Amino acid sequence: MSRFTQPKAAPVSKRDPRTGVVQSQDGELLHSHMRLMSLHDGKSIPTDNATLDVCPVCKSARYMNPSLRFLVNPECYHKMCESCVDRIFSHGPAACPIKGCGRTLRKHRFREQTFEDIKVEREVDIRKKVGATFNRREEDFETLLAYNDYLNDVEDITFNLINGIDLEDTNRKFEAYARAHGKEIEENAQMAVQERQSFSAAQKLERQQARERREAARREEEEEKREVEENRRDVLNRLASGADAETVAKEGQRVQLKKRMDRQAAAERQRQLQAAEDAHSGRTSKFVIKGLKTKQKPEPEAPVDPFGGLRLVDSYFTLQDDYVWEGIQEARKDVKQTAGGYDVRDYAHRSLVAAFSGLGVFVADEVTERDKLAQSDEAVGTARADVGLKDADLMTAP
Amino acid sequence: MATPPALDVPPEPPSKRRKTSPDPPSRNDTPDVGLPSSSFPAVADLAEQLDDQERKKYVKGKKLGSGQYADVFSAHLVSDPSKLVAIKKIKVGPEVKEFGISYDSLREIRFLQELDHPNIIKLHAVFSTKNQNLNLVLEHLPQGDLLKLIQDTGGITYTAADIKAWMLMLMRATHFCHANGILHRDIKPNNLLLAADGSVKLADFGLARAMADPFQPMTYNTITIWYRPPELFFQAQHYGGAVDVWSCGCVFAELISREVLFRAWPETEINMVKLICEKVGTPTEENWPGVGKLRGYVTPAEIVPLKPRDQWFAAFRAVGEVGVDLLIKMLTLDPRERLTAESVLKHEYWTSDPRPSKLRDLPRKGGGENTMGQDLTQRGGELPQTNGGRGDRVARKIDFGAGK
Repeated sequence: MSRFTQPKAAPVSKRDPRTGVVQSQDGELLHSHMRLMSLHDGKSIPTDNATLDVCPVCKSARYMNPSLRFLVNPECYHKMCESCVDRIFSHGPAACPIKGCGRTLRKHRFREQTFEDIKVEREVDIRKKVGATFNRREEDFETLLAYNDYLNDVEDITFNLINGIDLEDTNRKFEAYARAHGKEIEENAQMAVQERQSFSAAQKLERQQARERREAARREEEEEKREVEENRRDVLNRLASGADAETVAKEGQRVQLKKRMDRQAAAERQRQLQAAEDAHSGRTSKFVIKGLKTKQKPEPEAPVDPFGGLRLVDSYFTLQDDYVWEGIQEARKDVKQTAGGYDVRDYAHRSLVAAFSGLGVFVADEVTERDKLAQSDEAVGTARADVGLKDADLMTAP
Repeated sequence: MATPPALDVPPEPPSKRRKTSPDPPSRNDTPDVGLPSSSFPAVADLAEQLDDQERKKYVKGKKLGSGQYADVFSAHLVSDPSKLVAIKKIKVGPEVKEFGISYDSLREIRFLQELDHPNIIKLHAVFSTKNQNLNLVLEHLPQGDLLKLIQDTGGITYTAADIKAWMLMLMRATHFCHANGILHRDIKPNNLLLAADGSVKLADFGLARAMADPFQPMTYNTITIWYRPPELFFQAQHYGGAVDVWSCGCVFAELISREVLFRAWPETEINMVKLICEKVGTPTEENWPGVGKLRGYVTPAEIVPLKPRDQWFAAFRAVGEVGVDLLIKMLTLDPRERLTAESVLKHEYWTSDPRPSKLRDLPRKGGGENTMGQDLTQRGGELPQTNGGRGDRVARKIDFGAGK
C-alpha cells in the first residue's frame, strides 16, 4: 500500500525562491567537466521521451517501479536510476557505465535533475559557476558603460563555455581571473550572503508582526463577544429577580457602553505607551528603504578666487610710479591723453614686461622635456613634432 | 603649425583666380625644395604643403551660420570624430568690399593665437584653401550666446548667482586680455559665447588691438554703439582698458534688467550721449577733469547731476548692495576713476554671497538648438558621463499631486 501512496519522483527543487537561480554548493573547477563535454554529439545523452522513464543502465522502467528516481552527475550528465548509482558507485569512484563515456564519477556528486532538458540543466550549472566567480556588482564600476562592458565580457565567456567554443583559452582566462581576484570574489560572495540573510530576516520580521496584529484583533473581538454575553446574562438575572424591565434594559445598555468606552481608553493609553517606548528606543519608523547608496559628504568649498588661479607677478622688476623719460612725462601732462583714460603707467609696465620677456625661459630644457614626452609616447610624439607645440593643445581640446 | 598665409604676396585679382581653376599646377613656378612631392603633386612649396597637411586634419560639416564676411561650418577632426571644432571661413572675392584679407580677420588671428585662457575662444589652427580663402579653426561652442539667454525672457530665468558666475568669467577674460596688452573693443552679449559646459567664452577679436604707445592715436570709432563708453563719443584718441570695462558694465546691467542699458534709438552718437547723460549724469569738468579738452565734447545744455546711489539700487537691486556698488564703479564717467579689470576682480562682490553658480548649474539656451547642441556633444565615448544615462532603466515616479 505504501508503495502507491509515495509521491512519484518528488521534485526536490533547490531553486532559490528569490532569484530563481539554482543554488549549489559544489566548488569544483569548471574545466574538469567541460573538458570533453560537448552537446553537439548528443547521441550519448538520451533526450527523447520514449527512453525518459527507462534507466539506460539497468533498463528498469517506471512502469514497474513507480518510485524510480533518476540522478545525473555534472561530470557528464548521463542519467541513471538511484539503485544503479548505489550499486556502481558505493565503493568509491568508478567509470560511467554508459557506453563510450567512461568518465570517472563519484557518488556524492550525483543529484536530481532540476530541469527536464539536460541542456538547460547544464547551462544553468555553468552560469552558476561563472556567476560565482564573476560576481562584481554595479557599484564597483565608475560608469554604467563600464559595468555593461563587463557584463558583456562575462556573457562571452559563459557563451563560450556553454557552446564549447575556444574551451582551452576561455578556461585559462577564467582561472586567471579567479586567481587574480580571489579576495574580491570572496568579499562579494559574502556580501551577497549577508544581503540574502538580511532580506529574509526582514521578511520574517514582517510576517511576525502581521501575525501579532491578527492575533490581537482576534483577542479583542473575543473579549467583546464575551462581555456582551455576560451583560445579557446579567440583565436576564435581574429580570428574573423581578425588576422593572425597561430600567434593567437601559441599565444594561449603559453598562455595556461604559465598558466599551473604558476599553477604548485603555487601548489608546496602551498605544501611547507603546509609542513612547518606541520613540525612546528609536524604533518609531519601521519603514526601511533598502538599497540606498551611502552618500559621501561634500568637502567644504574653497573660497571664491576671482582671478581663477591666474597669478601675474612681475618677478624681474618693480614698477615705479614715475619715470623721468620725457616721452612719458609729456604724455602724463597732456590732458588730451589722460582725459581719455590713457594711463602711461600701463605703457611703462608693458615696456618693462617686453624688456624682460624671455628671461627665465630655457628652450633647451623645454626641448628635452618634449623629447622625453615623445619617447614615452612614440606615436603621439611624432604626430606632434610636425604640427608643433601649438597644436599639442588641440589634442586635449574638445 | 598654424600657417598664416604669405602676407607679402598680394592675392591675385579675383577674375584671374577664377579662370585658373581647371589646372592647379600652373603656379608651379616656385623652386622645388626637395620634399617628397609625390604625395602632393600639385603643391610645391613648404608652406603650401604644411597648409595642406593642416587642412586635411578636419572634416567640414554643415554650415552653422553665414554672415557678411564669413561663413561658419561645423567640423571635426579626421583622427577623432568626437572632437568638434568650428571652421570660420573668411570670405574673399568680389562680394566683399575690402580687397584681400580683411583687417578684422588679421586681428582675430593675431590676437587669438596669442591668448590661451579658459574664457577666451580658442583658435586651434589657421589654414587656407585653394582660393586663398582663410579658414580659422575655432573652438566649438554649441550653446549659443549670452544675448539669446538675456532675450529669452519667457523661457529662461536665471538668478543673481548665475549673473555673478557669467560676469566673473567675462571679467577674467577681460583682465587676461588687458594684462597681455590687448584691448578687445567689442564686448557685448552676442560676443560672449557659451561652451558645452556652460562657461562663457569671449569671442570676436575683429576690433581688438594692442594698447597704444604714448601719442599714438587710436580710432574712437570702435565698439558697438550701445556699449561704447563716453570718452569714445567725445572722440578721445588715447584711451586704455577702461573702454572695455564700461562695456562689461553695460553687459552687467543688461544681465540684471534683461534689456540694453543704453538703447539709443535711432542709434546715433548724439542720442547715445543724451542717454548716458540721462541715466548716469552729464560729464562735466567737476566729475571728469579735462573732459572739456576732448575734441568731440558735446553734451545737452541741461546738465543732469550724477545719479544718486539709491536710484541705482532701486533699478538693479537683484545683485544686492555690493553688486550695485561694483556696477556704479564700472559705469563711472571718468575713465581714470573707472575700475580697471584687475580692480574689478578685487572687488568684494565676487566673494560676497551668493556664491557664483557652478558651471553645471548655469542655464543653457533653451529650445531646439539646445537639444541639437546636446546631441552634438554626446558623441563617441562621452555618453556615460551624462546623468540621464540610466533614465531608461529606472522606473518613473508618478506624481499624483501634479494633476490637481
